[in-house]
Amino acid sequence: MFRSIGGLALGDFRDRVRRPVYAVTLLAAVILGYLAVPDPQARLVIMNIGGYRGVYDSAYVGTATALAAALWLTLGGFYVVRGAIERDERTGVGRLVAATPLRTPAYLAAKFLSNTMVLGSMVAVLAATAAVMQFARAEDRAIDPVALLTPFVVIALPMAVATAAAALLFETLPLLRGGLGNAGWFFVWLAVAVGSLSERAPFDVLGARHVVEALRAAMVEQGLWKRHSSFSLGLTEEPEPLKSFPWDGFPLTAAFLGGRALLVVAALAVVLLPALWFGRFDPARGTLRPTPQQAAEPGLPPAPAYRGLPATAPAYGNTFGRLLAGELTVIVREATRWWWLGAAILAVVGLAVPSGSVAAVALPLAWVWPVLLWSRLGTRHQSDGMEGLIGAYPAPHRRLLAEWTAGLAVTVLPGLAPLLRMAASGDAPGMAAWLGGALLIPSLALAAGILTRTPRLFQALYPALWYCAFNGLAPLDFMGAVRDGGVPAGPHPLAVAALAGLLLGLTLLTTTVRGAAWTTRRA
Amino acid sequence: MLELIDVTKVYRGGKRAVDTMTMRLGPGMLGLLGPNGAGKSSLMRIAATITRPTSGKVLFDGVDVVARPDALRRHLGYLPQDFGAHPNLTAREFLSYLAAAKGMSARSSKARIGELLELVNLTEAAKRPLGGYSGGMLRRVGIAQALLADPRVIIVDEPTAGLDPQERVRFRTMLADLAADRVVMLSTHIVSDIESVASDIAVVAGGRLLRRGTPDELLHMARGRVWDLLVSPAEADAVRMGYVVSRMVRTAEGVRLRVISDAPPSPGAVPAAPDLEDVYLGLVQPAPAPSRAMGGLR
Repeated sequence: MFRSIGGLALGDFRDRVRRPVYAVTLLAAVILGYLAVPDPQARLVIMNIGGYRGVYDSAYVGTATALAAALWLTLGGFYVVRGAIERDERTGVGRLVAATPLRTPAYLAAKFLSNTMVLGSMVAVLAATAAVMQFARAEDRAIDPVALLTPFVVIALPMAVATAAAALLFETLPLLRGGLGNAGWFFVWLAVAVGSLSERAPFDVLGARHVVEALRAAMVEQGLWKRHSSFSLGLTEEPEPLKSFPWDGFPLTAAFLGGRALLVVAALAVVLLPALWFGRFDPARGTLRPTPQQAAEPGLPPAPAYRGLPATAPAYGNTFGRLLAGELTVIVREATRWWWLGAAILAVVGLAVPSGSVAAVALPLAWVWPVLLWSRLGTRHQSDGMEGLIGAYPAPHRRLLAEWTAGLAVTVLPGLAPLLRMAASGDAPGMAAWLGGALLIPSLALAAGILTRTPRLFQALYPALWYCAFNGLAPLDFMGAVRDGGVPAGPHPLAVAALAGLLLGLTLLTTTVRGAAWTTRRA
Repeated sequence: MLELIDVTKVYRGGKRAVDTMTMRLGPGMLGLLGPNGAGKSSLMRIAATITRPTSGKVLFDGVDVVARPDALRRHLGYLPQDFGAHPNLTAREFLSYLAAAKGMSARSSKARIGELLELVNLTEAAKRPLGGYSGGMLRRVGIAQALLADPRVIIVDEPTAGLDPQERVRFRTMLADLAADRVVMLSTHIVSDIESVASDIAVVAGGRLLRRGTPDELLHMARGRVWDLLVSPAEADAVRMGYVVSRMVRTAEGVRLRVISDAPPSPGAVPAAPDLEDVYLGLVQPAPAPSRAMGGLR
């Protein structure tokens, strides 16, 4: 059985690493490794403790890079490895595997192993980058492999394992296997990974708190720790470059190692749990939509004899309205009754909240609800297998503009109640910001969809952007939610509209370039 | 009307799918025959402006459609080998959307969609979401969309895959009707599909055009090269290893073989009238290297 698991996982891993996107993910890992060990004079840092950092020796460089990996690979890596089961379903490989004696837990274990190998390879690249960065920064060029690599093994790898397991779990749950899972992961990550940095969190998921304790102890010993010193992990811009202090690394206590082992054991349990409900690619079980080949032929009357070609001659005219209606029909049919119910509740909320909460609460809530509908802009032809068919149709730009307009309609509709409230209270700057946001959202969604041909980028990007705006980060407030003296504090609406135009232009340009050059890898 | 001049397509990784192919097409039906991987689908996609050739020209009424694809797309009906559809739309809604994409007015598209649905025998299922359609039904929707704008050029790639025999016959009849005054380019590896309708046949393999001609011209080429023979089961294996065998039937008397060869494969072999399958096999399938088994037969 172990041979089967290993063989399947290796095959899956090979398939993934041969895709061009894998090189991009490794490049991202290198960039993350570079950012984790910034220039001593840099103010953009990933880790900061009370305005200090450790001297760039193996212990500190390894720890800082491993923590950066634990934090950011957990977020980005989830989207990288997601799709292992979906790909088997789409390509039909799943049905072939399902017909073999391989048992469901073994299949899931193989997919998990493949996910872990992909994330593990990114961790390995980060570790290699850390060694290069230590040498390049030249504060201590003596590379101690144990001190450098230990943090990757005990901090980054357990998080990679947990992420691999979470991605698999999400794929097996009908509710989370689609866009909802993609968008929802951002909030799971926020609560579990970022939340665990808090001293009140029940479990040190990242392992960062143990590291902070060791850093703090060294600083106290060296008289550097102040009462209000704090720790930050992420990506922050500091007012001045960090000062350095010597640090020997964190101790490998039994409690810490036990916690890391517990995380891995929990991940393994999460992997095997779906065996209870995983449908093994049987459309009769679960919620898989049957492919056309699987669909039963509904009863149709016998074909009459051929009586000749259609008599009506085609006539031509302006069709933008009908294209728009078609795009809207596709979107509306995708929205479930629950979606409409939620939209209706949000409209009531928008009309009922106090005027001070319209821009800060009602509008952001209204403009996160359609995230899954927006995310499919620019990707539907691809995901529905229509690219080869629609590629031979004229005027691709007209179709694209119709799709963008349909996306705009999906933005305007839930945002109407807050807009009416702003109009009623004479909040002209808020209405202008609303307009900028309404133009930006479908443009961003369409650009992300057209460029990547998958809804995943927008599903990962938009919740993060939205969260920043909702939490008062003015420079990223594209909708006028953050107020300063009652006036939107974010970018000027014209700047937001210009960005929307730029993104739409980029989308049209991409379509033009692809235009007749839609090449397929199939020979 | 449609010209492909020195068209070459090299994919990433260096695979040469189409190799300096030249074809001129006027009204009538060109049947493209070739084994899997011969470059048929690549050639069709290039002709349908989906794929840009690495080099060479595609002209429609003298206009370079590699540079200006819309010049052909407005007059093109294209049915790819594999395609999907928006699963939540009904057949009528889907065709209406595509008619708008073609630029057709609402009134004419409504009438024409009704006629096309009847033509492909989907009127009864027209209000069902496409997500519930079988492969054959979806194929018929594909045929309907290809005819939406009464195209002057029709390119169909493996069009009869998934159709039942009755639908296949209807579709072939329709193609023959269309070919009266339009360019129809049909690709398949089902020889009988081409045999029954194409007036012009091109055999391709390895990305190159091996032969092009009318069915009679191609049949003439194979005359005197097709043999029937009756052998024992042991001898049958020897023949298969030494010659291109187009048919084999086990009977009570022995194994009846149909062999393609310049010379009689055995003294008992009798000449047979060639059909297109023989021509096709003779062109695309290299004769096996002479083996020790051949010696045994002789």
